[in-house]
Amino acid sequence: MSQVTDQSAGLLAPPPHLRVRGIHKSFGGVHALRGVDFEVARGEVMALVGDNGAGKSTLMKVLAGAIAADTGDFFLDERPVSVTSPNDATDLGIQIVYQDLALCENLDVAANLSLGNEPVRPGWGFLPRILRPIDDLEMEVKAQKAIARLQVQTLKSVRARVGGLSGGQRQAIAIARAVGAESSVVMLDEPTAALGVAQTRQVLDVVKRLRDTGHAVVYISHNMRDIFEVADRICVLRHGGNVATWRTADTTTDEIVVAMTRGLDQGAPHAS
Amino acid sequence: MPANPSLSLVNRLRILRETQFGAFVPVLLALAAIWGYFGLAMPLWEHLTDPTSDGLRLIFLSPRNIYNLFMQSAVIATLAVGITVVLLLGDIDLSAAATAGVCAALLGVLMLAGVPGWLACLIVMVVGTVMGAAQGLLIAYVGIPSFVVTLAGLLGFQGVMQKILPTGNLNISDPFVRGIARVLIPDLLGILIACALVGLLAFAALRRRAQRAAKGLELDSTTALWGQIGFFTVLVFSAVLTMNAYRSVPLLIVLLIGLTALIGWVTTSTPFGRSIFAVGGNAESARRVGMDVKRIRVAAFGIVGLLAAIGGIFGASRYGSVSYTAFAGGSLLLESIGAAVIGGTSLFGGRGSVWNAILGALVIGSLGNGLDLSGASAADKLMFSGAILLLAVAIDAVSRSDGPGGR
Ligand SMILES: Nc1ncnc2c1ncn2[C@@H]1O[C@H](COP(=O)(O)OP(=O)(O)OP(=O)(O)O)[C@@H](O)[C@H]1O
Ligand SMILES: [Mg+2]
Repeated sequence: MSQVTDQSAGLLAPPPHLRVRGIHKSFGGVHALRGVDFEVARGEVMALVGDNGAGKSTLMKVLAGAIAADTGDFFLDERPVSVTSPNDATDLGIQIVYQDLALCENLDVAANLSLGNEPVRPGWGFLPRILRPIDDLEMEVKAQKAIARLQVQTLKSVRARVGGLSGGQRQAIAIARAVGAESSVVMLDEPTAALGVAQTRQVLDVVKRLRDTGHAVVYISHNMRDIFEVADRICVLRHGGNVATWRTADTTTDEIVVAMTRGLDQGAPHAS
Repeated sequence: MPANPSLSLVNRLRILRETQFGAFVPVLLALAAIWGYFGLAMPLWEHLTDPTSDGLRLIFLSPRNIYNLFMQSAVIATLAVGITVVLLLGDIDLSAAATAGVCAALLGVLMLAGVPGWLACLIVMVVGTVMGAAQGLLIAYVGIPSFVVTLAGLLGFQGVMQKILPTGNLNISDPFVRGIARVLIPDLLGILIACALVGLLAFAALRRRAQRAAKGLELDSTTALWGQIGFFTVLVFSAVLTMNAYRSVPLLIVLLIGLTALIGWVTTSTPFGRSIFAVGGNAESARRVGMDVKRIRVAAFGIVGLLAAIGGIFGASRYGSVSYTAFAGGSLLLESIGAAVIGGTSLFGGRGSVWNAILGALVIGSLGNGLDLSGASAADKLMFSGAILLLAVAIDAVSRSDGPGGR
């Protein structure tokens, strides 16, 4: 399979920024990832596609440190690194929008946007950081900027509790959180699933902007039209393993759909 | 929001609850109802039905009784503040009263052995924190549900308390410890402290408003701002003046308020407090943004342990003795949990406030006090307490924006 990857994309691909090799992950009896290889370069959008249960979200969670891989190697700019906790990933500049969004519904928008990274007021250095007063005004200013960038017009206040927002508004907040942070890799797991037409367009624009500012972007979606619009390369997973990686310019929707549903052995002319 | 006459009462309540201040409403209503009943309705009824009575006697609302009420509620309130912290995480602590009992008993025994009062207090505060944190370790790292761990703690610590106090009773005479409940703040100083508090709050609120305006952030309505300041002023001054009318503000109450302010500040205004709310709201999300959920749990249980120890010290000081029934074996635990829940803190985590726990403790204390005054039996007291707990939680449930059925 890796042969196919090389033929189809590897030789022409830019040097990877984040690369993983041989990722295995089992949940009890379910072997969700069976030796997956994956890479993404700066200034490119790598789409990750596959049927439901193919292992896309699991792979993203492994890259974000939310779950630890059973085995596998991580490289950042070809330097071996270890990612075993969410903090490791954040420190390496990896940000993610989870498929389930991972928001706290009991907190307001501003608090969610700064969750785990609250700005504190200066001048309380004698206290450990977790006991210094939160600079909530600064937090709101930051939140307003992040929301304004995504142009979620329907969101009236950054002080609204997330539990009272619509699914699309929540998704926008989760995206704003990942995009607003200092990062070099941004991974979005089905970020437009709950969004309207206009908001989907905003997200696609955000994705392009991230690429143009030199980020490495991973984009997961079941919408082939969106994928062919933003992606530079498309990586197909099936049953927890790699099928192949194509350059978007060299492939078609039909080819990808066949690869997703049946793999390469039948009907994929590319494999021969 | 435009005034809409067709809004139902429930919807109005919900809108109120959405405001920062609104969380106080249900518990304040409960308190007003209890005070109105015991303070006004009952004496009025007796006066009207009994021709031999000589004038209206407002025993419940007398300064002397209100003073006692505050003192009686102080131990419950201290424990309720601690329990609120773990309720915010979505956990529960059934061992708080037993921890308080062990700490109070240890305090008595230490002082009997000649340890000075202040040192004994420090030692039991450390012991209480360790007892709480040890349970937190089992919950966070071994993964046993907090209900089970603290139930075991409840049983075990009751036994420990009986081991420390074989006779079941020990008098406390140390002047330092007794002083906590006996020392009174001079009348004038009490009023000065009240003025300072109100001034500080008003200054902070106005400065915050100016800062928000300067940063171009949305502003709360001016009426709400001044309403809050006015309400706080009335509350502080009526409390201080009432207590001054009988004796003076006791040191115990000042310590309790200070402690609550500290815990309140930590839970609402620091990254640590924010992580407590985050874990209570969605522990998996908190973990994924890099919060150390396990350490947060242990720390929260350490805080309950500390507050339980302080509650034990307060109790020993107020009763002048340590007895098994006053702490571990009595109704203190259920009253404290009841106080926290009546205050509007959710048992499912992520929602609540330590200030509400104080008000909840006043509700519980007032109920017991009022029933005592009207000569009710212990059986009546239990049944009334149950009814009030249900009523307060029901008000809370229907007034929440997600409505009944949500958590
Ligand atoms: N926490 C878990 N416990 C047990 N099994 C899991 C867990 N998470 C994922 N799995 C299993 O791993 C496999 C891959 O799941 P994953 O969520 O990665 O799929 P996906 O490609 O993201 O699918 P979708 O397109 O539906 O989001 C599935 O079979 C799923 O049942
Ligand atoms: Mg998925």
